[in-house]
Amino acid sequence: MKSTFSILWLTSRPSSGSKAVIALPAVAFALVTALLLIVLAGGLSFFTNPAQDDEFGTAGAYQMLAALAVSLMVLPILTLGGSAARLSARRRDERLSTLRLLGATAALVSVMTIVESTVIACVGVLAGVVLYVAALPAIALIPFQGQALGLDKLWLPANVLVIAAAALILLAAVSAAVGLRQVVLSPLGVRTRQTAPTVHWLRLALGGVAAVGLYAVMSTAMSSPSLAIVVVMVCGGFAGGLAVLNLMGPFVLKWLAGIGLRRAQTPVKLLAARTVLESPKAAWRQVSSLSMTSFIAVIAGTGLALISAAGESSNPAEMYLTGDMRTGVLITVVASFLLVAASAGVNQAAAVLDRRELYVSLDRLGMPRSVMDAARKRAVMSPVRLVTVGSAALAVILLFPLTGAALFFAPLSLVVIAGVLACGIGLVRLGLAASTPVLGKVLAQ
Amino acid sequence: MNTTILSARSLSKRYGDGIALNNVDLDIAAGESVAIMGASGSGKTTLLHTLAGITSPDAGSVNYAGTEVSALNETQRSKLRREAFGFVFQAGLLIPELTAIENVALALMLNGVPRRDAEAQSAGWLAHLGLAGMEARRIGELSGGQAQRVAIVRAQVTGARIVFADEPTGALDSHTSANVMSALLAATAGRGNTLVLVTHDPTVAARCSRTLYMHDGVISLAPAAHPDATPPPVAHPVSTQDGSTFMQNQNWAGQP
Repeated sequence: MKSTFSILWLTSRPSSGSKAVIALPAVAFALVTALLLIVLAGGLSFFTNPAQDDEFGTAGAYQMLAALAVSLMVLPILTLGGSAARLSARRRDERLSTLRLLGATAALVSVMTIVESTVIACVGVLAGVVLYVAALPAIALIPFQGQALGLDKLWLPANVLVIAAAALILLAAVSAAVGLRQVVLSPLGVRTRQTAPTVHWLRLALGGVAAVGLYAVMSTAMSSPSLAIVVVMVCGGFAGGLAVLNLMGPFVLKWLAGIGLRRAQTPVKLLAARTVLESPKAAWRQVSSLSMTSFIAVIAGTGLALISAAGESSNPAEMYLTGDMRTGVLITVVASFLLVAASAGVNQAAAVLDRRELYVSLDRLGMPRSVMDAARKRAVMSPVRLVTVGSAALAVILLFPLTGAALFFAPLSLVVIAGVLACGIGLVRLGLAASTPVLGKVLAQ
Repeated sequence: MNTTILSARSLSKRYGDGIALNNVDLDIAAGESVAIMGASGSGKTTLLHTLAGITSPDAGSVNYAGTEVSALNETQRSKLRREAFGFVFQAGLLIPELTAIENVALALMLNGVPRRDAEAQSAGWLAHLGLAGMEARRIGELSGGQAQRVAIVRAQVTGARIVFADEPTGALDSHTSANVMSALLAATAGRGNTLVLVTHDPTVAARCSRTLYMHDGVISLAPAAHPDATPPPVAHPVSTQDGSTFMQNQNWAGQP
């Protein structure tokens, strides 16, 4: 055990070149933690003394909607957390696989991976708690039921805080172990990256069958007179739709990148297509949270349209509920965008640092920086466009009775959806733009 | 006597307190193959990078075929490297996602050659360097020697008049190293182009037409008293002859 920690210290102590290896996953974990805590605090604020605050008898509706919003957000936040952990592990894989080639045991490599990623996650989680506390005063100003939320409702109970932090750290450890399984199994596979990536067509077939089944169930359930059943089905449809997207996404990306590769006539298009084909699953993971955003945007647009179509109510309770739903939807969508932008920025900065040596060699060969930058951006933006449009289309189909009604009664919903999606794409572009200076810095060294 | 294609005058470069280049003068003729040897930290890689326009000197000038390289801005130097120079690095540094033929074709596509033509030319070059049938392989699926030959093709496919090679055989065993060196000489000096390479290996240097020794940022014609800079053996002295023989053996004289 002593030797394990000696090697761990030797390979982990920060040097000028490895600071980013530690900093990037830590930043990602800080963002994940802050967003998770804020979402939990916002959601739980509707469960704080509900009887005392329930002036209009709508506490139950608020709690149900808050639970829905939290359930919409928690999964993408945890997905980003998993990405951050994989990022942490992946950035170490070369060094660890070299150690494995030198004779380090699988157990030693596993322990080192898990300990490193967990320590980095702990630092990030602590920073995230600080971020959460710092953000509270601004969030406390958001109005619900005609008054600001207030700081006192947004402080998370200590046990919730500890459980959330522990869950994120556990997620980091598990994701790191899974991410480095390949190193343990086959050190040469990672060291030389010679294994050709495979994505099976069965994903598409299974996804198609699942989508049809989901549509059939949703169509039947949506006609239910019970609001509770409709809400449960919306949640179920959301989770099911996401599972279908994640099943089909990598294969569709691979298929389209293959077409792009055959048609590529410029270095930018060739490099971008090959980057996606190198690992369609990784390309999908990078943009999968946008599928969530796109999905939410369609649901939000539909919801807002139906509320507008229903007209203003004279009942103060209903007026508040309508306005607050609008606010809640807006917050949910904005938070989703922030997740995507953070994910794109961190992943791309990491990708540039991972390939530092290659970028420097390409610069020496005379490849213009604009080509390198355009190729890596295209490798992200092409899947982004596909994911945005594809996910939105899938959401429209799955929620068809509702989206059809929204389109008929309030065409404004289309404008809202288009605007929301354009904002999402714009934010991803901003996230990518934030990583451009990293490329400049790498090439200037 | 061939004309001078690359010349350096009074080149100086410091990194902090260390002197990498100290008032270096150098002329390289077209068709030459020049090996630069020296101990680690003697300034040989800095000299290679400065001659290639990768690094700017603190003082002095580099002239390539009438163009003052050191006076060009970053964009112009990048264009010069892309169009007139070729590079072979120790680790190949090929793009791992691309296949062998795509790695080579990319160099042509960056100069505006349509992909179909670029791949056709690349296929010819790869075949003549013994890589026929391996065009569609990813770099990770090639051996070290094969990958280095792909890098040599990439360096020459654009018709580069000078190829700069930094320890091109440094990661290879002696047998593969000899084969790669033959390919490199055949593809450069063997076709009338110029090769400037940095190496620690005396047997590699011995196959070049001229060997320079770097010591504390200064060029000398004799090695310094240092284990890294032992004089090359004289068993295989003529590089271009080796190159021509390799070309004949490969039946690709004049190609592509």
